[in-house]
This record gives sequence, structure tokens and C-alpha cells, in this order.
Amino acid sequence: MKAEVTPTDSSSSCPLLLLLAKGLGWLVVSGVLALVASIQLQNPTFLAGCPAFTYGRTSAMAETAFVYGWMANAGLAVILFTLGRLAGEPLRAQNWAVAGAVFWNLGVLGALVGIGVGDATGFALLGLPKYVQLLLFASYAAIAIPGLLAWSGRLRQVSYASHWYAAAALFLFPWLLSIAHVMLFSAPVRGVLQPIVAGWYAQSAWTLWLAPMALSAAYYVVPKVTGRACPSYEFASLGFWCLIFVGGLTGGRHLLGGPVPAWIPSVAVVSCALLLFQVIVVLLNLRGAFLGKGVSLKFIAFGLAAYAVGAAVDALTSFHAVAVHTQFTYFDEAQRQVALYGAASTILIGAIYYALPRITGKAWLSGGLVRTHMALTFVGILLLIGSLSLAGVIQSQDLLDPKVEFADIARHTGPWLLAAIAAQAILLLGSMAFFVNFVGTACRIMDISEPAVFDPPAAMEARTP
Amino acid sequence: MKSNFVFFLGLFAALLISWAGIVLGSNAQLGSLAPYFDDNEGASFPPWMPGEAARGQLVYRDLGCAACHTQQVRRPGFGSDQERGWGDRQSVARDYIYQPFPQLGLRRIGPDLMNIGGRKPTAPDADDLLHMLYAGSGGMPPYRFLFETRPIGVGAQPSSEALKLVGALEPKAGWEVVPTPRARALAAYLVSLKTVYDYPESVPVAPPAAEGAAPAKAPAAAPAAAATPAPGATAAPAAGATPPAPAGAATPTPTAAPAAPAKTEATP
Repeated sequence: MKAEVTPTDSSSSCPLLLLLAKGLGWLVVSGVLALVASIQLQNPTFLAGCPAFTYGRTSAMAETAFVYGWMANAGLAVILFTLGRLAGEPLRAQNWAVAGAVFWNLGVLGALVGIGVGDATGFALLGLPKYVQLLLFASYAAIAIPGLLAWSGRLRQVSYASHWYAAAALFLFPWLLSIAHVMLFSAPVRGVLQPIVAGWYAQSAWTLWLAPMALSAAYYVVPKVTGRACPSYEFASLGFWCLIFVGGLTGGRHLLGGPVPAWIPSVAVVSCALLLFQVIVVLLNLRGAFLGKGVSLKFIAFGLAAYAVGAAVDALTSFHAVAVHTQFTYFDEAQRQVALYGAASTILIGAIYYALPRITGKAWLSGGLVRTHMALTFVGILLLIGSLSLAGVIQSQDLLDPKVEFADIARHTGPWLLAAIAAQAILLLGSMAFFVNFVGTACRIMDISEPAVFDPPAAMEARTP
Repeated sequence: MKSNFVFFLGLFAALLISWAGIVLGSNAQLGSLAPYFDDNEGASFPPWMPGEAARGQLVYRDLGCAACHTQQVRRPGFGSDQERGWGDRQSVARDYIYQPFPQLGLRRIGPDLMNIGGRKPTAPDADDLLHMLYAGSGGMPPYRFLFETRPIGVGAQPSSEALKLVGALEPKAGWEVVPTPRARALAAYLVSLKTVYDYPESVPVAPPAAEGAAPAKAPAAAPAAAATPAPGATAAPAAGATPPAPAGAATPTPTAAPAAPAKTEATP
């Protein structure tokens, strides 16, 4: 069905392919760095002589490359694609997105080099050195312009869940980053207020930026692929506002028991529980993903399941009685991976599998690579989360017993950390397969002889409910 | 949702609420937290960080030490922090007010360092820490790049700062291992990390039983404490002398108040 590829898609291929290429490149880079970091956890002397690769720096670089390299680029590409399609006309102001993408990625590169030479900030999800933050802020705003124009210039007055999440991500991130920049770097607040602001930023970056980008994609792709409108759609807006209003309040759970006012973690406990409402709404709306066929839906279904599990575990571990067992352990790390890799990234990957053939008008280069990527990603994520969780449980038992030395803890968790290394290696192989397949497919855009064929269901451009 | 304006207003309001609630709320509560002046000791706490220690904190931050070490001791009953000898009391917000970059940390792959300079019975000194940084210990890798291995000049004395290494680590004859300024700053920073004073709000929630007199004093003691800051002795404004911790702060409860104010009261 050729109608599936519209001028809307092909005319915006330049910025979208640029963003996707950068995103996938960073995914491979962050995979290498995460592999190095996981080896260092198991064998601390690995690369110990190299100042640029202390464990603290490698893990910060891996996180920065993953969040600001891979997730930001891929997420922006996917939401620009979605917004353009929902607007029903080609993206406007594409030059802004292209320029923004170039400078954004220079900024990410600068951030990685900066962390390597010792300008890391030490904050979770905000390892960006001070000097690249303004560049990232401006580039993001530039990339967001076509998206906001597509939102405001849409042909139909009505807007959809996919719209809301996308607009929220576009609008809120620059604001979040600017607040964090002012309160932590330009005019830093004092003492423990810094970790409070950083915790608020990290959680808001997840709930108000990364998760909405992924959910926007899911809300677009699932109905399109299944060919059916979202069931119980009337709840979608409630879920959206629940996430937007409550999400930013959940950051205090990491500060439980710390030197901060006790009401901060208390607010987080309540907010984490409230947020489960949004998860239920999302699952209710997008349950079609679990029944449908195809690579996109499988990735998205995996991501939605991880999103639900992650939110439930977050809510559970925000309680004092549970947190005493999980705080400061590898279990925290497993939770982070559930959210960033398990939930948001897999949904974005699913959306890319949907979008790329429509942007290029070509089928994916190799079905074998697609299946390889899918298998490696699912196995890798499950193994990573499972091994880190078990390592975390062992670590917490040992930490709670004051007689156990740290060398013994390292010995007890060692086998599971070895499994985590294997998981990172598997994920890296999967990412490389994805990257190769992407490059091969994108290069076929010049080849006009072989247009892609799309299976039914037929194109279902956003219809009025 | 048909109105773009209302939609964006909603987004704006949502972010504003969480920012105002969490960030401005805690700033209002802790932003003017002042050092605590103790008349008995004639000094205010926490002490200033020495300049070299402040430089060391930058080294600690840029190497990413916080990826494995926390700097926060939790209260008794919440983990084994105090049983492990990491500190005699929980950490409170006031401990960090002079730190330009507080390093609370998120993981405990290594021990907590909140009070590493004040460990009992014996805290490591700068030489011990430098040795540990050079040699590594347990799960901690060696940080050799913080040291310079150099030849001792002909007829020259070995540097007084050279590490005293034995066994496998000992450099070959005529060479010495000298810490770089960064290593020395890091060691000075770690040595400076000690919780030397028990603030009213840092006293455990449930004090050991049988201190019957304390609760009776509480109402009188707290205001007294608030009224006794020595004017001009520290940068502390009037509020500085510990307004009894706000209702939710860290963990203290009203019963926590008596212990430290009692010290202040005993002042002649």
C-alpha cells in the first residue's frame, strides 16, 4: 500500500534521518561505555591507570551518551515524525531542526569529553558539564521549533494523546534544564539543597521529558499498527495530566533517610502511588500492543510492560521499610535500567521500526538483523535487570550486616556482576545490529527502484474519535 | 483539548507546582540554615573547610568518587550505618552548609565517607589515605595517576612527601613515589570529613530511656537556645542559633531538642 508513505514523511526525511543516525550512533557509544563501566564494577583494576576512565567517569559518560545522545535524538526524531503526521502536512522550519541537531550532538560530544577530562558535575542524569548546558538548551529549542509549528498549525482542531505527550516533552525539557542550570551552576543553592534540586531535575527529566517522548510514540504507533482506536480513550487525558502534575514530585524517594527534610521523601511516596493511576490508564489505552503482531508492537509491548513494572517497583521502594533494603545498592541501578532502557528505549526502538520505512519509503535492509536485534535486546535487558537486582539483594543483605566487609560484598556480588557484563555485551551487539541495519536502510533512500510494501491495516490517519 | 493556550498553561502550572513545592519549599526551610554557635566551646559549627580540602572536594567530584561512596549517615534503625562505625549520629542538613559541592552519593559500593576523618578508634590520616589511593584496597582500584614516580636526583635527599612503600609496591632504587597536588588535596579533603558536633536536630529520635528530666526542660530549653547566640561571633544571623528544627526536618522530633540546648544553658 503505497498510500502509507505520504509526502509528509518523505519531505521531512533530512532532519529525521540526521537525528536518528546520531541517536543510534550514541546508542552504540553508550553501549561500549556501559560495558567498560560494568567490567570495572566486577574488576576494579580494569583501565584503572587511565584517568579518563575511572568508574565514576565512565558511568557518567555512559549515562550521558545514553540519555542525551541516544534517547534525546531518537525521541526528538520520533516525536517530530509523529507531530508532522498528526498535523497532516510536511514539517515546517526543518532547517532549525537540522541546525539544532548538529549543535545538540556537538554539545553531547563536548559533554563526554568534558566528563573524561574532569568536568563532571556528579549529579545523576545531569552529568553534563556546565559549559555545554546552554548549548544544549539552545539546540533543543531549535529542534523543537518544527514540532511546535506542527502542533499549532495542525489541520484538525482536535488534539490527541500523542500530541499532548509530545508537546509536553518539547516544552518542558528546556525549562527544566534552565532551572537546573541556574540553581546548580550559575547561582548554586547551598548545601543539601543541591542534591534536592538535582533529584528534582533527574526525576522530572524522566517523568516530564523521557517518558512523555516514549509515550507519545506509543500512543501514535499502537493504534496505527493495530488499526483500532485506543480503547477507553476518554481516560487518556486524565492519565496525561496525572503524569505531568504528579511526576515532578516523585524525585525525593532517593533522598529517603538522608539529611533532607522528611517531607520530601514523604511527598514522593504519595506521588509514586498516585502515578500508578497514569500507568493503569496507559495500559488500558494501549493494551492492543500486547495482542498485535509485528516488530514495532513487540518492542512497544515490552516497553509498556517494563514501564508498568518500573512504576510499581518505584512505588514500592519509596516506602521506608523497602527502601532500607534497596537504597544505595545495585537494585537502584536495576530500577534505573528498567525505566531508561527497558521502558523508554524499547518503545522508541519500536517506533523507529515503524517510522523508518515510512520516512525512507524502503523496507528495512535485513529481516535477520531486525530479529537479531530484537532477541538480543530482550534477552540483554532481562538479563541486565535480573542480574543487577539479584546483585542488589545480596549487596543489601551484606550491607545490613555490619560484620560483612566490603571486599566480601564484592566477592558475593561478583558472579551477578559478571552476568551484568554479559548483558551489556549482548545489548551492545544488539545495538550494533540495529545501527548497521539502520545505516543500510537509510542509504537505500537514493534507490528509487524498489519502494516498500506495507502490510495492512491500512493507513489510519488520525481520525476524530 | 481544543485550546492550545489552556494546554500550555496547564503544562506551565504543573512544572511550577512541582518546582515551587519541592525546590522553593525546601529552600525556604533550609536556605538560611546558619552555623550553630556553642557557648561552651566558644566556636560555631560546622567549621569552615580548609582551602586545600575545598580543592580536594573538586578532585573528589571530578574523579566521580561519589559513584561508589556516599557521604550521609542514616539514623539508627535505618541500615547499619552507625554499627559499621561510619558515624555516631545521623547526618543533618547543617553538616553540609559550608560545602560548595555536597557529595551525598547514590551507591555504596565502598564505605560511607561522611566521617572518615573522625572514625573511632583510629581515623586514617593523610598518609594512610594516600597509601590507600596508591595501592588500592579491597574493591577500590589504585589511582596511580594521582602520583608521580620520579628519580631521586644524584646526591639529593628523597622528598619528604614521598610515600613509604614496602613490598611489591616499593619503587626501584633511586626512585620515589610522590603524591601530586591533586592527591594531597584529595587526602586533605577526606581528612577534613568529620562530624565533630552534635546539633540539636541530629540527636536520635528515640533517645535511650531513663533521661527523665530532659522532657520537662524541653519547653524552656529550646527558646533559651534560640536566644543565646553570641552576637557577632559568627556569620550567624539571629535565626542562626537553631530554630528548633521545623516539623518535618530530617527526623528530629521535639524530644530531640533538650540534649544540645542543655549544653548551651550550662554556659556561665
